[in-house]
Amino acid sequence: MAASGKLMLSSGLCQKLSQITRQLHMQPALLSSFRSSREVQDLDKYPNVEVVANPPEWRHVERLLPAETVPSPVEKPKYPSGWRPQRENGSETGYFVARTKNHMVPVYLHTRFRGQRRITVVRRVQGDIWSLEKDLRAVVEQSRNGKLCATRINELSGQIHFHGDHVDVLRDYLKEKGF
Amino acid sequence: MLQNILNRSRQVLYPVARTFGRSSNQGQAVSSESPSAVTAPLATKSPLILPQDYTDYAPVSRSTARQAWIENTDAVAERKIGLIELHPDVFAAQPRVDIIQENVEWQRKYRYVSMAHTKTRAEVRGGGRKPWPQKGGGRSRHGSLRSPMLKGGGVVHGPRSPTTHFYMLPFYKRVLGLTSTLSVKLAQDDLHIVENVDIPTGDAEFLKDLIAERNWGPSVLIVDEDHMFPANISQASDDLGYVNLMPSFGLNVYSMLKHDTLVLTVAAVKHLEQRLLYQLHRNDAASKGGKFKLDQV
Repeated sequence: MAASGKLMLSSGLCQKLSQITRQLHMQPALLSSFRSSREVQDLDKYPNVEVVANPPEWRHVERLLPAETVPSPVEKPKYPSGWRPQRENGSETGYFVARTKNHMVPVYLHTRFRGQRRITVVRRVQGDIWSLEKDLRAVVEQSRNGKLCATRINELSGQIHFHGDHVDVLRDYLKEKGF
Repeated sequence: MLQNILNRSRQVLYPVARTFGRSSNQGQAVSSESPSAVTAPLATKSPLILPQDYTDYAPVSRSTARQAWIENTDAVAERKIGLIELHPDVFAAQPRVDIIQENVEWQRKYRYVSMAHTKTRAEVRGGGRKPWPQKGGGRSRHGSLRSPMLKGGGVVHGPRSPTTHFYMLPFYKRVLGLTSTLSVKLAQDDLHIVENVDIPTGDAEFLKDLIAERNWGPSVLIVDEDHMFPANISQASDDLGYVNLMPSFGLNVYSMLKHDTLVLTVAAVKHLEQRLLYQLHRNDAASKGGKFKLDQV
């Protein structure tokens, strides 16, 4: 009886030991400690290593680094997202709507009063902002079946505010015009 | 608005009108950039033509490239050494006078500490005793003669020193302030570009004559990329309170507006363009937003 108990104990100990060894092999970092690691030896004990500046393999690292600035878009005949590159430079229309640094059309929706007031903002307007406002207001009023639309112009900062949510209408129109 | 700013330009005062051409073809006119011309010594006398490189940062508006003369500093007489094309996003930006004003206000305030101070009823001397009994005197009840309602009493909600007025302007308002002010200075003919700041003598008279000859000033801010200026210009400008030197990393809106004329070296122009365009195009711009922390760099 006593002998069998000893056997069971030893078998349990064996099991635990094998578990630890397995863990040591599977997850060495879990049981490691800076105290258990080997101390730093003299440099001549280590194998010789050649330090290379700018090795060819570095491009694999560079591929993983995030780009610092927004790259210019790749030229394609058609983009599946519906995005279009800017074509117009504003020399004929007299006004110009610059793209953002992410190459998007700067039309935004500002909501205030818990979404009760919706203002569409066209930013980055250069040149004759008044004629652009006239054109855009006509587009918005046409989309509203002739109902009037209140606007506000900030010439200093190059912004036009439209009352209501007309982001899609204005963005599509500006893209169509080449801005 | 732009017209107003341009009208205030000092071209009327300065008969030496310099032309900032609008080149629509953006540097195709000066397509042959020779790298030797940049580093060539003065003796070769080849003009220094520095076209703008738009490969990294395409301008938001393709029609407003600015050109400026590069002037010499080795003699009092003005000589055009070459031509530099300036990036329109930095030197032809929309002159946002509102942002310039916010920058100036910020630069005045962040270093201002108000020392105005008043004493409360606890700090005014005396007043610990009840001046007269609560009842029976026929007078209103009071517990202290230093009560703020009495003459000679403490002040309620008065100014307490030191009161700091420190705050940080949002990062991109600071960036736009720099581009706006540089653009305004260029449009007002108050921005001059020189080849370098190696003047031949350390004599202050030379610098005075040079400034008078070229209709600079009265006050002049000279900006170079390096923070170690050459000995001659340091010595010459040392006693002139109205001529100041500044490295390009220290350029700010307040100093640009404080001085009438801004003189940039070619190296400073390149440095400013590179830094400002990077800030205007960087991918992690959102990381520059958020609350200012004291331990951030």
